[in-house]
Amino acid sequence: MKKWLPPASLALVGAIVTGISLFPGSGGDLDIEIQKAPFIMPAVHNVYADASALNGKYYLFKARLTNSSGHTLEDVRVKYRIPGYIDWTELGVIGQMFPGQSGVVACYPKFNDDITKKTTESMEKVEIAIDWDGADDNDVVEEEFAFKMMSRNEFVYSNIPSSEISGYADLYDNNDLIPCFVTPSDPVVKYYTQVVQEKVMKGEAASITQKPEDAARFLMSLYEATRMAHMVYSGTKGIPASADDVSSLVQTLRLPREVITGNTGLCIELSCFYASVMSAAGIDPIIYLIPGHAYPGFKMQGQYYAIEATGINGEGLGGISSAEDAFRTGQKQLQEFMQQVQAGHPGYSVVDVHALNQKGVRSMALSDDTFLKEKVDKIAANFEVMRPTEGGQLMAVTPSGGGNGGGNGGGGDGGGGGGGNSDGGSPSSGNRTAGPLSFSVPSGWTVRKQPFPNMPVYTLLAESPDQMANAAVYDVPANSTEEAMGYLKMLFAQYGSDLQYQVSGNRVQGITYSSGGSWVWSGVGGRGPAGIRIVAAGAGDLVAEQYSPQLNSILSSIR
Amino acid sequence: MAMRYLKNTLIVALLASAHLLAAQSLQQKIDMNIDGLGNAAISISMTLPAQQWQAWNQNFGNNPAALKRDIERSMPAYFLEDFKLEKNDMDRSFTVSLKAPGICQVDKKGRWFLTTDEKDAQLTKLTDHKYMMVQSPQEFGGGMQQTTMVTFPETASDIELDKDPLGKTVFRFEMNEPASALGYMLWVGLALMAAGIGWLLFVLFR
Repeated sequence: MKKWLPPASLALVGAIVTGISLFPGSGGDLDIEIQKAPFIMPAVHNVYADASALNGKYYLFKARLTNSSGHTLEDVRVKYRIPGYIDWTELGVIGQMFPGQSGVVACYPKFNDDITKKTTESMEKVEIAIDWDGADDNDVVEEEFAFKMMSRNEFVYSNIPSSEISGYADLYDNNDLIPCFVTPSDPVVKYYTQVVQEKVMKGEAASITQKPEDAARFLMSLYEATRMAHMVYSGTKGIPASADDVSSLVQTLRLPREVITGNTGLCIELSCFYASVMSAAGIDPIIYLIPGHAYPGFKMQGQYYAIEATGINGEGLGGISSAEDAFRTGQKQLQEFMQQVQAGHPGYSVVDVHALNQKGVRSMALSDDTFLKEKVDKIAANFEVMRPTEGGQLMAVTPSGGGNGGGNGGGGDGGGGGGGNSDGGSPSSGNRTAGPLSFSVPSGWTVRKQPFPNMPVYTLLAESPDQMANAAVYDVPANSTEEAMGYLKMLFAQYGSDLQYQVSGNRVQGITYSSGGSWVWSGVGGRGPAGIRIVAAGAGDLVAEQYSPQLNSILSSIR
Repeated sequence: MAMRYLKNTLIVALLASAHLLAAQSLQQKIDMNIDGLGNAAISISMTLPAQQWQAWNQNFGNNPAALKRDIERSMPAYFLEDFKLEKNDMDRSFTVSLKAPGICQVDKKGRWFLTTDEKDAQLTKLTDHKYMMVQSPQEFGGGMQQTTMVTFPETASDIELDKDPLGKTVFRFEMNEPASALGYMLWVGLALMAAGIGWLLFVLFR
């Protein structure tokens, strides 16, 4: 073998290695990982288009790009299209991607407004293309995936994969999107609102005066308008649907304009309709969601109000409620709602429409429709016929306190106390409860017996007007205060609340933790009609100091 | 990358249930260490009072999967990985660590950026590569103080605060390409060439 061959070979290998390192070529490998939305709802198009809406929760897809080649990629461009909806659109350019570097891009598609005319469900496709400077045709990364495009009326309650559902809240994870179906800017809704303001209310100024009485009058007038129009309660389709590994209830919702002109609606549809009209009139609308039902209301000066919109029922169903009865029923339901929220029941939540609007949940875009406005005119003919006999009933509404709602009211509460002069929810003017361990009720507080029917041992509640402080009475079948508190702890746990307490003689004090907050309380235990009676006075931790004079007064008055 | 989302996420996830906000002030420390490829290693540590510790354990401490899920859901636009939870029951403290790849990216002009997603973020420069932000989020009534430390790698230079088109505070900085396999190959190749040529000369002219 020639002696010069080994060193020459070594030099050649070195040259090759050097050449490869200096001229790696323009080709490269870009790994891509995609996570996509299983459903797209046309009604939610304004949320999809806004990367900041609800912290960017509702994307079409997100992609993680990783440069797995050995060289730097320059100007990596990511673009996508949805044939028939969105043409090729650049999502962004990553100036440089070094070997091993990752980049994340999220797609918030801007659909045209006419997507809200889509009335059928379909499968659609997203195409993604990624290239970079110097990439040849073989290098360009192309991906595609399918998703289910719903119709404009369909609302998917959850996008969470079945395997990750861990509770009630997960099943209704999309509830924050309900305001997309609240359409105060819809020209038809605006027109209807004006007609009701003029012909039924003969003028109103709730948004200007900010008086709850005026807003309650508005709410009842709106109910009266639906009743005069012979609007009826009726169901729509609600079926489970699946896409990928997500399985969710899909509800077909008639839009507020369809409720008005179709003269019918389901509870959630009526709620969206009421919220739309109230919002158009400048009132702060609220939708209360409870298991299997929804009803509308409003928020004003920190208080919540509600009406049972389905009281219209219809001739075929019977039992048509007057506006006053519907409002009374709504307020009664609202009291129970607040109790459930305080107990931490996840099925009870509010949709604060304007608050969610501020978080980017904007209503769907709808175009003007002369035909529908003409239908509103025809409906308005009924208003004029019936107004003189019905209108007078709408005055002088004095709503009861609505609580602090917002989906996260106070906390749980403490224990027991006397029966007494409860009046089923009316304001107290310094009464004293009856029976053992009775106490003085501060002036202005409301007193209710059996405030929480699902918890029979909870026998009485005296509550401050803002519902941030209360005194509660529990009659527990137990032989000692310790045993009674153990029973209550288990009971509260069933409702998702954690009761932490200390018993010292006949004195009890503690904190109740729930999803709504913590509730600081002190109380007294003693013999009662069912065994042991616990009376406890407390308040939300943030206002406990503010209420301490009243709470101390209650505790010192127990005898 | 949205630092605000990250913070809010962690507050919500770690303190969830709103119970944990008692009257006393709580301290939370967030460390975000950026590496040479723009990825972040994040750790959040906190010490809780006794009652809050019980509630936190009930919700998350004994169910780290729920903690991970809540953090992921609150930062939907990002890919998070390598979650770890370390608890110290004796001290009632915990540390959650995770990684967020691609938290910094290179813009069209070739400059790296990291967005805070906050307008007029109050940042204090501690060293050339370390910044601090102290906040008391209103969501929790000012009952908790958060200290966020952002540490850039030593290879980062010219770090400056800027605003994006929406007025949000953005870090912009320079950072060279990290050493790669190709860089090593170049030196190996040159070394082999030199050795080969040297050996060849020795053989031919000895």
